[in-house]
Amino acid sequence: MRITIPHLGNVYLAVKILFDSLGLDYVIPPLNSRDALYLGSKYSPEEICLPFKLMVGNYIAGVENGADTVLLVGSCGPCRFGEYPELQIRIMKQLGYNVDFIVMDPVQSIGLNELFKRIRKVGSASKKSALSKIGSVLLAFTAMRLIDEIEASAHAIAGYETSPGEAKKLLSSCKKEVFSCSDPVKAVNILNRYRDRFKTIPADYSKKPLKIAVMGEIYTVIEPFSNLYIEDILMDMRVSTSRRLTPTWWVKDMLLKTIRLNSRELLKASNEFLPLYIGGHARECIGEAVLAAKQQMDGAIQIFPMGCMPEIVSKSILPSITQKKKLPVLSLVVDEMTGEAGYRTRIEAFLDLLERRREHVFIGC
Amino acid sequence: MRIGIPKGLLYYRYHAFFETFFSKLGSEIIVSEQTNKDILDMGVQFCVDEACLPVKVFHGHAASIKDRCDYLIIPRIMSVCIKEYICPKFCGLPEMIIHSIPRVPKVSVEPLYMRNEKELFRWCLSSGSVVTKDSAVIKRAFISAVTAQKKGRAGINEQGRKLTVMLAGHPYIIYDDYLNMGIINKLRAKGIGIITEESVGDGETREEVKKLVKKPFWTFQRRVFGAACVLLRQKLIDGIIYLSSFACGIDSVIIDLIRHFIGNFPMLVIKLDEHTGEAGVDTRVEAFIDMLERRVFNENYNPSPRECVFSGQNPV
Repeated sequence: MRITIPHLGNVYLAVKILFDSLGLDYVIPPLNSRDALYLGSKYSPEEICLPFKLMVGNYIAGVENGADTVLLVGSCGPCRFGEYPELQIRIMKQLGYNVDFIVMDPVQSIGLNELFKRIRKVGSASKKSALSKIGSVLLAFTAMRLIDEIEASAHAIAGYETSPGEAKKLLSSCKKEVFSCSDPVKAVNILNRYRDRFKTIPADYSKKPLKIAVMGEIYTVIEPFSNLYIEDILMDMRVSTSRRLTPTWWVKDMLLKTIRLNSRELLKASNEFLPLYIGGHARECIGEAVLAAKQQMDGAIQIFPMGCMPEIVSKSILPSITQKKKLPVLSLVVDEMTGEAGYRTRIEAFLDLLERRREHVFIGC
Repeated sequence: MRIGIPKGLLYYRYHAFFETFFSKLGSEIIVSEQTNKDILDMGVQFCVDEACLPVKVFHGHAASIKDRCDYLIIPRIMSVCIKEYICPKFCGLPEMIIHSIPRVPKVSVEPLYMRNEKELFRWCLSSGSVVTKDSAVIKRAFISAVTAQKKGRAGINEQGRKLTVMLAGHPYIIYDDYLNMGIINKLRAKGIGIITEESVGDGETREEVKKLVKKPFWTFQRRVFGAACVLLRQKLIDGIIYLSSFACGIDSVIIDLIRHFIGNFPMLVIKLDEHTGEAGVDTRVEAFIDMLERRVFNENYNPSPRECVFSGQNPV
């Protein structure tokens, strides 16, 4: 069994560490690119959302490189994401690829037995003992947490560093080094080392850079290719960004959802505007906007794929938050036809607006 | 007390219930007009750009009656069947209305679960309390509303004409004559019989979707997909006309699923949005009907092998 996974931001690094330490055979498809998008949109339904298309592109690349099993997470909520496997399995078969899909659906909808059966399907391929398997999962989770932490500090420090561009350079060399290391424990050590190095980046905290919250649909926020590397663009413009939705957050959220203790802060913040779950991460998006206003961020950028049902609801609520909480919000819709120039122009215009707004005497009135 | 009911979205399925319930409570009911140009324009003006056409039209309906009523019924329908949902936009509909349309009156925001009468009654209690505090009156109104709803549910089932097509899609597109440009009458004028998904029983569709990898979690998906497969297997239809709105998330999945299962059985997908031109739609429908006629009445027509073996099994 050779497993492949669809890309989601830096998850591939943690998955690599997990599979290395379990001793499983795997293929990490090449990072998302025009090729993946081209293949994906060629074979996907026309009106489905962008993540679907990129994922199909990843599967094809993975299978062409020798994988025979696709591992992905699922959902059974009202959002389209839950129907992905249904269509993707059919598309892959129609294309003549003989692949097996293992879908990790949430335990609430398929039950513990079925979930364990699916986990065993992956786990049985590994020859390690049960205890060391658990250790591997924990190791991978630690790695994921470290990567998210490193990325967050790189994005936060971008506005303050004394020699601009250093954080970005360090981040990319960190990813490269971890990916080329095939010893899981060493990889985690590399991550630890980088985390400390980020603390020593020379920074001038008397600067007052723009602070922006990046929020919206979870896939397009986390996967840099799908949002045209917005966080890199903002780092280059020396803006400090923060983002709450990370793979680590997602795992914690999924686990705590079973006992209804997930992301209390966000949900509490969203209560005023959207008191119910409507699927996807619309409620989280609203909560993030409210919290961003509370933390006196300069603005927020919402990103979602064309046609995303939950985010359309949150987009229609955001103007009220802008008005009541004085938080400027820019909504960016991405799909396979998003042009880079127009996209950049809008971000630049938004940043200009935020800068001028700051100097305005009546700010916050 | 004047209760406003916008004539959009699932009004077309549950209007008997809402209208009977609130009129039995003794309140004046204001239902918005049939969809027209003004309502569509208002909807486009107020609603968020990315939403689909029916949601925009619903905004228009709500805006057209907001000044004439004291309480606006925006049903936040969460689910109509156990373990199934409907579109996420329905769950956030009251918020969309409140935050997009200026100066709306009080709006019903309680979640509405229609999975059984008990849950439905809970919604009626809280929404009815705006009109009257007397729970006995609410109970009586509720009972007659449920009876009216059960009586009113029909759908279209016209068999025995020269050709029969399944008109698939959401009820708020099929029954809104302005949005679909009177397609039902146009088809009837050509002597085409129409069958909608309501003519297939719930149990049959549940049985039918067992062939899917994953249990569908949208009621519409189960019903429309299941009905299409059932009608096709029973050879009751000669073609499918799917009325869909641009950027409908649920249809993007259903249409593809149906395509995977019907092989080369004729299906016409019509995407509607606020720019749809009537002439283009007419031409496409006419061409589709011409094709169906030739396909059915041409003696030399040889069905493809794939069609012959089709027996409702997974062709994949």
